[in-house]
Amino acid sequence: MTDDTTNTDDEPRTDGGGTGIVAPDDETPTWRERKERTEGLSRLTYEYFERARSEDESLRRESDYVERDVLAFPTWPHETVRNLALTSFFVGMIIFLSATLPPHIGNPANPNSTPAIILPDWYLYWSFGLLKLGPLNPELAILGGQKLMADRTYGVLTNGVVVGAIAIVPFINKGSARRPVEQPFWAAVGMFGVTLAFTLSMLSVKNLMPMNVDLLFDLTFLVPPIVAAITYAVLKTMREGYMYDLNRRYYRLRPPK
Amino acid sequence: MSLEKKDEYDHKNWLESKDLTPVEATFLTALIWVDKRLRIVDYLELLESLYYRSNLQMPKSHTEQYDLDNKFWYWYALYTLGFFSTLAYVVAAISGALLGFYYVPAVGSAGPGEASIAYSQIAFIMRDLQFGFMLRSIHRWSAQVMTAAVFLHMLRVYFTGAYKEPRELNWLLGIVLISLTMVFGYSGYLLPWDQLAFWAGQIGVEMSLSIPLIGEWVAQLLFGGFSLSQATLQRMYILHVFLLPFVVTALIALHIGIVWVQGIAEPH
Repeated sequence: MTDDTTNTDDEPRTDGGGTGIVAPDDETPTWRERKERTEGLSRLTYEYFERARSEDESLRRESDYVERDVLAFPTWPHETVRNLALTSFFVGMIIFLSATLPPHIGNPANPNSTPAIILPDWYLYWSFGLLKLGPLNPELAILGGQKLMADRTYGVLTNGVVVGAIAIVPFINKGSARRPVEQPFWAAVGMFGVTLAFTLSMLSVKNLMPMNVDLLFDLTFLVPPIVAAITYAVLKTMREGYMYDLNRRYYRLRPPK
Repeated sequence: MSLEKKDEYDHKNWLESKDLTPVEATFLTALIWVDKRLRIVDYLELLESLYYRSNLQMPKSHTEQYDLDNKFWYWYALYTLGFFSTLAYVVAAISGALLGFYYVPAVGSAGPGEASIAYSQIAFIMRDLQFGFMLRSIHRWSAQVMTAAVFLHMLRVYFTGAYKEPRELNWLLGIVLISLTMVFGYSGYLLPWDQLAFWAGQIGVEMSLSIPLIGEWVAQLLFGGFSLSQATLQRMYILHVFLLPFVVTALIALHIGIVWVQGIAEPH
């Protein structure tokens, strides 16, 4: 019986035995396969997902990551209780603040009397400070010393510049460095930004600052680069020792082959 | 063959044979009733697989694998700032909903020689309403805390390089969120309609007007005109209690969802 079958598969007989249907070889697609191949985009998507998943799995299999042999902290009660404790602590902080430092309400709105000091909330001070950059608005010689745009427009547009500068950071700075010490330059840029936000906030309340306004204006743009330079220098110095420690720890765990 | 529907799986007999307590019987009957109509079993399966997936054995994280926790523990407090701002947002939402029961966005005078209705409602909340002063205080402080936490969260993300390569989109989303948070704060700042609110609004109108090309449209859209009026307060109110809550909540969910999918960017 077994012999017979092998025989049939190897060479189709001409004596009318069997059904006469020649089984397709491996290369010939079955009708089902042909149908599936013509199903187009959905089929492609499906195949891609299959591939991507198997790729993921083989990556995981090859990686030297250690799978845990026990389940981690159980969600209930350990993790939940811990989260609830943290949550109550934070909410408690908010309630404590609101009980001890209640808000103030000023005089009712009066369109006829402009108050001496107009300020937004503290978190908008930096933006408010940008409105006071009038002296930096360039006067163009070709316009006969006129300004291209009003000081106010200039101030509003600088907001866009600031937001744009923050937005493009991840497209410029790539790689896997996480610590400020690994990239002193970018940490310095960050400190520049933070300090600039702070000095701009100071500039926005210049009426209240016990300081010469011109000096304040100059300091607004002098302090950030200085802070950035100090950050850079400090981190650059720290980097040597820090990276040495880190590498030693790393190589002890994974000695180079 | 009858047209009468048959209980194909004979749930009834099954139920009787199980000898259930009344509670169990009621539960199962209700479950079968709902399931026949909505096929909730399919969704239960989904939930089940989600449950098991969330308890999957995850691969050890970088810090765990190289035993770096002792090197980084002091950074971890900074990693909770995002959660803290979300929490403050929830507190602000709850206290804001309660405040919304009493606040009226109207600039008309509350009476002859009196302040606007909006202002006198705030005064009412602070003076006469039980717990009202605390309520306003909580709302205001949770808003302040949320903004502060959001700013610090952004700094944390910057200085730990967590915005890098696979996470650019979430960084951009974060910028949108921090901007919307400030709009939230600004629109809320105008609602009491006191002197500060009015003149902050005035500056807002002037700022929008000085945007090139589209300035007048922006002023019309956000402030309802080129000078402050009832329309301004109304728009700020709708922004603050209707539009922004929906948008910001959805974006926060997306933001956190992306973090969930991509994982926390751990320190190295």
